[in-house]
This record gives sequence, C-alpha cells and structure tokens, in this order.
Amino acid sequence: MTDSQWTIGIVILVLVSFILVGLKQKARESMEYGFGGRYTGRIGGGAAIASNWMSAASLMGLAGLIYLNGYQALAYVAGWTGGYVLLLVLLASQIRRFGKFTAPDFVGERYGSPAARFLTAVICIAISVIYCVAQFKGIGMIFSFLFGIDYRHGVIYGGLAVISYLVLSGALGVPRNQQLLYFVIITSFIVPLMWLAHRLGYFWLLPQFGYGEAVSDLSRQFQVDFAAPFGTGSVYEWCALCFTLMVGTAGLPHVLSRFYTVPNLRDARWSVVWGLFFIALVYWSAPAYAVFGKLIEARMGHVLPPAAARTMADIVVLKTAVLAGVPGWLAGVLAAGALSAAFFTVAGLLMNGAASVSFDLYYRVFHPQASELSRMKVAKGATLALGGLVLLLALNPPGLIAEITAVAFALAGNTIFPLLLLGIWWGRANDDGAVAGMLVGVVCTFAQPLFGSLSPQVAALFPLTSSALCGAPLVILVMIAVSLATPPPPDEMQRFLASEVHGHLD
Amino acid sequence: MSRQDPRYHVNLFRPKEGHMKDEVLIILIVLIGWATLTFGFQVLLAFSRGRGIGDLLTGLTLFGLPLHFWFTGQFLPLWFIILCLVFNVYIDRITAYHSRKRDRTYD
Repeated sequence: MTDSQWTIGIVILVLVSFILVGLKQKARESMEYGFGGRYTGRIGGGAAIASNWMSAASLMGLAGLIYLNGYQALAYVAGWTGGYVLLLVLLASQIRRFGKFTAPDFVGERYGSPAARFLTAVICIAISVIYCVAQFKGIGMIFSFLFGIDYRHGVIYGGLAVISYLVLSGALGVPRNQQLLYFVIITSFIVPLMWLAHRLGYFWLLPQFGYGEAVSDLSRQFQVDFAAPFGTGSVYEWCALCFTLMVGTAGLPHVLSRFYTVPNLRDARWSVVWGLFFIALVYWSAPAYAVFGKLIEARMGHVLPPAAARTMADIVVLKTAVLAGVPGWLAGVLAAGALSAAFFTVAGLLMNGAASVSFDLYYRVFHPQASELSRMKVAKGATLALGGLVLLLALNPPGLIAEITAVAFALAGNTIFPLLLLGIWWGRANDDGAVAGMLVGVVCTFAQPLFGSLSPQVAALFPLTSSALCGAPLVILVMIAVSLATPPPPDEMQRFLASEVHGHLD
Repeated sequence: MSRQDPRYHVNLFRPKEGHMKDEVLIILIVLIGWATLTFGFQVLLAFSRGRGIGDLLTGLTLFGLPLHFWFTGQFLPLWFIILCLVFNVYIDRITAYHSRKRDRTYD
C-alpha cells in the first residue's frame, strides 16, 4: 500500500470503530439494564466535556491562525479556555438549580415569554449552523487533502459522508462514547506532534515545552519574529476577540447542556476542572504545530506569500506533518483525530438544532397539538435540511475555520450569555428586556457587515469575530433599561429565584 | 427561608446574608483574578512596549519562549484551571459550612 492509502485506511478504521464500540456498549448496557454506569466519575465527566468541546476549530483552525498571526492568535487559546471560568462561577450551578437544561427552555421559563423563547430557539439554531459551517470546511479540507481533489468536491463528499454517518449511527442507535472520543482525539493530536519534535531535533517527550527552542531558532536563524506582541493587530482587537470567545463559551447552547449529564452538582463542578485540563492539553500543543510549520518552511527556504499562506492555514497541522516526512499511517492517525472531532461536533450540533426546530419552533409555537410521531418526523427532516443548508454555505466558506467559529461565539456571547447572566443574577430582568436585548445582540453581532461601510467607528468597535467586548455590555445595559421601564416579572418567579436558585441553603 | 426577608430581590451586587453572600464573594474574587491576568496583562504589554517592563516581558525567555508568549500561551490556561480549582474548593467548604449550620438551626 502507498502512504496515502495507509492514511485513508486508518481514517476509515477509526470512524468505523466508533460505531462498533458503540454497538458493543449498547448491547452490554441493555444486558446490565441500566447499571452499566453511564456515569464515569469526575475524570470521565471531564473527558466528556472536553470531547464535546473539541472540534475542527481546536484541532485545525487554531494552529492555522497561530501559524498566520503568531501572538495575536493566542487570543483564541486564552479565550477558549477562560470561558469555562465564567461558565463555572457565574452560571453552571445556578442554572442547574433552576432546572432547565437548554437555552430556549431556560429563557422560556425564566422570562415567561413565548416570543423570547422563539427568538432564543432561532438564535440557537443559527449558532449551530454557523458552527457547523466551520466544521464542514475542516472536513472538506481534510477530504481534499486525503483524496487529492479540489476543495469544493472535498466538502461535498465530506458533507455527504458526515450526514450518512449521522443517519447510520442514528438508525443503529449507537450511543456516543465521549471518553473514547477524547482519548482518540488527544492521542492522535499529540503522538504525531512528538514525532515531529523528535524529527526536527527538539525536546520531544513534552513537545508543548520543546517548541520554545524552535521559536528562538526561528528568530535567530531566519529572522522570523513569531512571538512579537500585537504585530498583526492592536491590543483592542486582541482583548475584544478573547473576551468574545469567553462570553461565547459561557453562552454556547451545546456546552451548557453538558452540565446535566453528571448526576450531582458537586461532581459536575469538579468535572469542569478536569474538562478544562483536558482541553488545555490540546491548546498547549496547537501552537507547536504552527511553529514547526513555520520552521519547516523556513528551513526548506520557501516562505509562502500571505495569500497562499491563508489558503493553506487551516490544513497546516497535516501539511506540516507530511512535509516533515511523517509515515502514512501516522498522518492517518492525525487526520482521523481531527475528522472524528469534526464528525461528532456536527452530529451533536445538527441533532441539537433539529431538536430545537421540532420542539421549540414546531411544537411550542406552530403546532401545540403535534403528536410525538410527527415531532420525530420533523426532527429527522430538520436534521437533513440543516445539513443541506450547512453544506451549501460551506461551499464558499467566508473565512478560516477559527474565524467562522468565532462568529458563532460572538452571536452566543451577544445574545444568550446576557440573558442567562441577568436571568440568574438579577430578579428584575423581564420578558421585554430579554426580547430587546436579543434583538440588539443580533444587530451588534452583524454590525460590521451591516453598517461597517457607513461608519468606520462601528467597524472598528464591532469586528465580526469579536463584537462581544462592546456588544455584551451594551446588551446588558439595554436589558436593564428596558426591564426597568416595563413592569417587573411575576412575584412567583422572583420568589423562586430567591428561594430555590439562590436560597437552597437558607 | 424563614430567617430571610421575604421580599428579597435577587441581585448580584446585593446578595442575601448566608450562603449567597459567601458565594458572591468568591465569584467576584475569581472574576478579578480572571480579568487582571487576561486583559490587564495584555494592556500592560501593549503600553510598556519599548520601555523597561516591556523589554523585560519580551526579552526574558522561559522554556525557550519569550516571557509574554509563555504567559499567554501556556500560563493563562493553567491559571484558569487554578481559578476553577480554588473556586470549587471554596464552594465545597461553604456548602458544608452552611448545610451544617442549617441543620443545627432546625434541631
């Protein structure tokens, strides 16, 4: 077999093995009748949080942006880890005590408003779609890399593959094994990195530390100052992006629901610490791929012009490995990890989005008498429809993977996060405030494409990927002002907040 | 509940006596730690460029990385883990404290 056949073989093997392991697990669990222990402790819970979080953006997009922008892109590293601090301290326990586990459910209950619920559902679906477009771009780039075809064909075949995978595992009823997924992702990301560090002559046992020497070598031997602060953007842009990713993390619907699979609150809190550690393992490693990529280019003597570098940035992880002469099977391991992360993220988001279409929109708003069966049908149809929509959008991706993902974070940070925050921490916030806040949040998110050409200040203050530094506080102010100008929420809700959400130990 | 003002309105900046007050205290401490090291550091880095501290931050190296790059790329994620750890230990303690206290008042 040739190298590329090995690569493709390994990728298929990994994806099929998820289904086989899942089927085996399902058989065992039904035999043990519920005692098979879905619950795997705090560490297992942490691995589930981490594997739910990892996507093509973490495994491909992050290294790509660091490769392009150096220090400026470390805003992604800090933003995608620091968000968990906000989530843990401000929202996790309280929302759990509140007892509503999806964003539309929470908003509908807390603000007692069908309109707010409807808007939240539409926004959550939009977030899922944007997030999925980034995943499809990653899948498309891997497919075009593996099979040597152009991007458009790659994304079509890749998209069809992920949708068939979703339908197949749905039809077989395969449970997702999050711990196994995390193990596959982390191994497939770090083992090739160790190989790379060894090959290039750096400390390979912990390549997360070993790549430091490579940064020094880049600036000494090749005059590439990779670490220069704020070289490709201002400090405002750095902070705005970092803040946006953080509040977006705390507002992302599929991240939020992760807290309810762990049976008790205390374990849920501790599994966040483990989850964050497992996530950080990947984020400590991603810059190393970027630095090694630059170094190999510099050593081979052809540094790409900016436009060409931007086109290949999202595949820099794989390309670096192949340029360094990694064996075919190891390239396959690397591709399989990124691909499974993207596959399962797409699966989770499309199913969440479809459930939202069927429950929050179809059942709650349009057909309150709809039967279980017709809701199922709508959910299945919606999965395919959303998948098709994502595929269409991914044919002409508007940016790099991490940039597209950042827009989804900005939308979540500008709309869902303020609603959750005030909903939990300010009893006076009401339905009118929530609706007004969400509308302002949507406008803030898309202010740059909408009004950027009219006013350069708006474009500078609300960059598309980083609109929440100004957006989220503005939305909070609007929510406070509108809530104070309109009647307070029912006493019943205010009492519930005071006695249940914040008074469980009084 | 009986000891609380029945007309209490939830507000982050005016927490109830008891568990909520302790909880809000640790939340604010963690948030200050989170904001200073994330954003405060970047502002310091940007405005001290070309001056003493700035040269120190970009000039010193740790594991081969310039100090500022190491701080943002490697230390910040670790710092976030530490913050979550501290928060959890503290919440575990105040939860134990307040549930013991509650049980005794019921006795």
